[in-house]
Amino acid sequence: MAMMELELRRLRHDRTEIYTRAIQPILWLVVYGTIMSSIRAIPTGGIPYLDFITPGVLLQSTVFVSVFYGLTIVWERDTGILKKLLVAPVPRYATVVGKTIASGVRALFQALIIAPVALILGVKFVPNPLNFLGALVILFLVSGGFAAISILVASFMKTRERFMGIGQAIIMPLFFGSSALYPVKMMPPLLQHLVVLNPLTYAVDAVRGLIISGDVSHLPVDAAAIVAFDILMFVAASMSFRKIIE
Amino acid sequence: MARKEENISTENLVEVKGLVKIYQGKIRALDGVDLSIKAGQIFALLGPNGAGKTTLMRILTTQLKPTSGQAFIFGRDVVKKAAEVRTCIGYVPQEMSVWTDITGYENLLIYAKIYGIPAKDRKKKVWEALESMGLGGFAKALVKTFSGGMIRRLEVACALLLKPEIMFLDEPTIGLDPSARKAVWEKILTFKREFGTTVFFNTHYMDEADLYSDEIAIIDRGRMVKLGTAEELKHSIKRDVIRLGLGSRSAGESVLNKLRGLSLVNEVSADNSELTIAVGDVEAALPAVIEVLRNEGIPIAKIAATKPTLDDVFLAYAGTSLQAQAGPEVRDVRSMRGQIRKG
Repeated sequence: MAMMELELRRLRHDRTEIYTRAIQPILWLVVYGTIMSSIRAIPTGGIPYLDFITPGVLLQSTVFVSVFYGLTIVWERDTGILKKLLVAPVPRYATVVGKTIASGVRALFQALIIAPVALILGVKFVPNPLNFLGALVILFLVSGGFAAISILVASFMKTRERFMGIGQAIIMPLFFGSSALYPVKMMPPLLQHLVVLNPLTYAVDAVRGLIISGDVSHLPVDAAAIVAFDILMFVAASMSFRKIIE
Repeated sequence: MARKEENISTENLVEVKGLVKIYQGKIRALDGVDLSIKAGQIFALLGPNGAGKTTLMRILTTQLKPTSGQAFIFGRDVVKKAAEVRTCIGYVPQEMSVWTDITGYENLLIYAKIYGIPAKDRKKKVWEALESMGLGGFAKALVKTFSGGMIRRLEVACALLLKPEIMFLDEPTIGLDPSARKAVWEKILTFKREFGTTVFFNTHYMDEADLYSDEIAIIDRGRMVKLGTAEELKHSIKRDVIRLGLGSRSAGESVLNKLRGLSLVNEVSADNSELTIAVGDVEAALPAVIEVLRNEGIPIAKIAATKPTLDDVFLAYAGTSLQAQAGPEVRDVRSMRGQIRKG
């Protein structure tokens, strides 16, 4: 909880990052989304293309925030903050969980900036605040899982430069290898199998169901997959976290 | 405070036995260190960069596992009982360890939460810690705007939140200017007096070890070279020097030989009317030296006695000068701290 407060307080003092980070996803929506929807090249099952990709873009931007949250950790490692946290009388998994929650908070703020933009562009959300809330929960869970991956990566890649490279190498394939921009059916068969292993696929599916199509029949499976992914990543990150300062 | 456990002596707050740490299978950072520290004192671990100071501290603060050997704090094994050890230690790493994009007060508040200090005491404790480090007036300023010394004091304040039994300070004043160093130390001494906290600090500044510590251990290339109070250490190398300015006449060879014959004198050299006599112990040797000269009828115009510095001590035990070794790395750390502050 303290970690979450830390992020909130940081954001209060300096909000630039959240605005600049919002530029890219907004471009996806405004430029890519509008152009692709005008040529109608992708079968989206009756949903306008812009609406189709909104969940994906939301997720991509939150995941982006989470994955690069590891950068903060690398920075905290370069300074003595991590050492001090590891010497503090709290269990290490608590520190990991705290950090991931903190990143989730940051990611949610990101989503709250992008959603109104999508609204302005004419994306039709399911008009039920509960659904939107559910979507935020999914976003939060997913970004927590990715923040854990980020901690895992940071434990091995101890410099910023290496981390940047790996970060990009994780996000883009996951983004393109999910149903964020196009239906899974359009992918080559091999990729279609791999998509099953991509946590973003489930997340996109869940969020799309909740806020765009209103079809929540997959939700239990999606949520289960995301939670399983989270737990797996938390455990791995907690185990690797110790190594980070060595 | 001390708890019985296995057969480890609980009189000593810190007990280290045969500690070895090898990094990546080849770098021997610690090469069989033994050490015991009594509660309630200020203990300085003095050594050049790369001597193993930080490694030792990081093992004691449960950050690293030793390759072999054991270490205990309050009789608790730092490997097997790491979680317990962490409840009674405070630690300030060498690198900067506060968030610069929030205020000093917020930093402490967040650490207080991380440390699990109950909500009702939190505000009070944070303010106490800030005041005791002389930062009360800057609580609401962003840490970015703090000077190096203020950041250090904030870090110490942070470690104080837990009222630890023992405080580990890794190079507490590295990269600070003399007045900031002094301010940091004054505050450390104050809280030490107030709470009886044991302080364990690493340094390569001899003057700090000399001025502020009750006991000093000299470490070099992963080995403990010598342990004692500053006085004991300086005494132990028997390198006191007496300089005598002789008035009218210079001492002849026979006088020099007589001086050399004294059991307390190690070496004598003469340069015109000046005599330089190396002795084990000035206080003991001086009367005998004066006696010889008086018997020979040689008038003494002036007497100067010099005691060795800790650098001489270090030189005698480690074979190299501490000052010669404290070179570029220090500057690196300094510039790094600077960069972090700016960034």
